[in-house]
Formats: sequence, C-alpha cells, structure tokens
Amino acid sequence: MTRDRLIELINQIFVDQFELEPEELTPEKRIFEDFALDSLDIVDLITGLQRKFGISLRDNKDVQQIRTLQDIYDLVEKLARDNPDLIAKLPE
Amino acid sequence: MWLSILIYSLLVLSSLLFCLIFGLPYLLSLALPERLRGRVIRYIILVYGRMIVYVAMRPCIRVRFEDLSGGQRRPGIYVFNHRSSSDPFLVSVLGEEIVQIVNGWPMRLKFYGYFARLGEYIDSTAGDYASFAAQIRMLNERGVSIVAFPEGTRSGGRHMNAFRSGIFHLARELRLPIYPGCIAGNEEMPTRRFKFKKSGTIMVRLLPPILPAEQDQFPSAYALKIAVHRRIRQETAKMDKELDDAVIQPGK
Repeated sequence: MTRDRLIELINQIFVDQFELEPEELTPEKRIFEDFALDSLDIVDLITGLQRKFGISLRDNKDVQQIRTLQDIYDLVEKLARDNPDLIAKLPE
Repeated sequence: MWLSILIYSLLVLSSLLFCLIFGLPYLLSLALPERLRGRVIRYIILVYGRMIVYVAMRPCIRVRFEDLSGGQRRPGIYVFNHRSSSDPFLVSVLGEEIVQIVNGWPMRLKFYGYFARLGEYIDSTAGDYASFAAQIRMLNERGVSIVAFPEGTRSGGRHMNAFRSGIFHLARELRLPIYPGCIAGNEEMPTRRFKFKKSGTIMVRLLPPILPAEQDQFPSAYALKIAVHRRIRQETAKMDKELDDAVIQPGK
C-alpha cells in the first residue's frame, strides 16, 4: 500500500467522523489548534484509526506525540511497515 | 470608572438586601437533607440572579430575553457562548432550576463559590468524564438542567473561542437535549478586567433545541460541537448587528 493511499484513508476518517472538508486536510495542520479537537475527540480519532486499519493504538506511546496531521500519517505509516499482514487486508 | 463604581455599588446593596430577605430560608435549608438543600439553594440562586439582572442592574443595563426554543422545555443541557463574567448571572433569565459547570476558581470564591458548592454546581477542574456523567445523570433525573460554557473561559470580545467537546459527548451519551443559547452585548459589561465600560442592552436568545434524535445524525460529538458552535456564532453575529443598528436606551 502506498503512502498516498494511507493518507487518503486517514483523511477519510476526518471527513466521515469530524465532517471536515477534504481541502482543509493538509499535513501541516495542527489537530488541536486548527481543527479544535480535544482529548475526548482524540479518543474518537484513535478508535476510528484502529477500526479502519485494524491496529491497536491503546498502549502506543507515539500517540501522545501527535500534534499535526503529518504526525498521524507518519505514525500509521510506521505501523503499516510493522504490520504488513493487517494493512494488506485494506481495500486498495 | 464611575459607571463601574455605580454598578458594583448597586450589586453590593442589592446583595445585602437579598441576604436580609433570604437569610432565614438559607439558614433553615442547612438543616435539610443534602438533596433538598441543594434544591432550595438553587432556587435562592435563581431568585438572586434574576434580581441582579432585572432589578439591580436595571438603572444601567437592560436585559432582553427571547425564547425561540418553541414549546415546553424539558431538562437538558444549555450551551452558551461566554464573553463576560456577567454570563453566569444572565442565565437566570431561563427561569428554571439549573446547575452550572464552572471553572475551579469561581468555586473557590468566598461568597459565590460557597453557594455554588451548596447548589451542587459542577467544578470542571475536579473530576473525570465518568464522574461528570454520573453527576449530570443524577441531576437530570431530578429535573435539573445543566448550563455549560464550552469555551471554557471568557472571550472578552465578540469573537467565540473554540468549544471543548466534553459536554457534547455527555449529551449524546445521556440522551439529553441541547439548547443553544446566545448572549450578546455584554462584552464590556464587564470586561475581562471586571470594568463596566458602557451601559446599554444585553440580549439573551435561546435557539431551538437539538434533540437526541437529531444529535444522532452527527457522526461524532465533535461534529455536533462544530454545528452548535456555528449556530451560536451566526446568531450572536446577528444579535450584535441588531444591537449596533438599534439605538436602544436603557429603561425604554
């Protein structure tokens, strides 16, 4: 799966779950300041990522470092590299 | 400066008068079981708030309340924008038993904080999501509505800060209607530094509720939060314009 496809799937979570416009979703956007997500919304986001990618983020320390959309892309890409079996199940 | 002195003098005098009148009911309420005492204290707070809004400030500030919620309201969650420290008083125009969610520091005030604690007001800084949910569920079962200012702090101007999501998660989880409320005209009554820079009219407008069935149409509490924020922002902008356009003299 390409990085572009991963980004597309992640962005889809923001569109479906948070009703953000696709054109707003640029990598440098800060999820707390620019999108006004707070800690409870992050729980929803994590749930959405787990559901979409079939990965567990509950004990992942990198989650706490997430500040921008780019950070989420990087985290999921790293997890995708570590879990090729799970990611392989995703629709192309 | 003289306006501030005048208004605060009126507030202090009317508060003293109120304490004389309601001192005895307050003392008697202390002997009541906690639950009943909370109800009596909330009623006293409601009357106090209405006296401040409609009587004490009347010589300088006129408050107009418009209820566009339509039909009978049932206990739920009122969500207001937050420009000034007068907001917690202004919500008394709702005329019903409420509990406000407030920051830690007002709960520690000698006079207001004491009564807020007796009235079972909720300190947003003391507790977690589960404890807030339990408190709000319990209060709601007793027919008490909740008032929240999800901006968390006063904006001090006509702009609105971003909302926090907690109250929207709770509304969805507890299946409670949300009543969006708008307050306009009080951004300098008083300012963030507690100075009254002008007299005039303050408008409070209650918008149609967002019932649980409608809340279900939103994919997340975040999306609901953004929609409520937008509704209040658009309405307060209209109210600001109405206030700017109309020359409304106090007392007219």
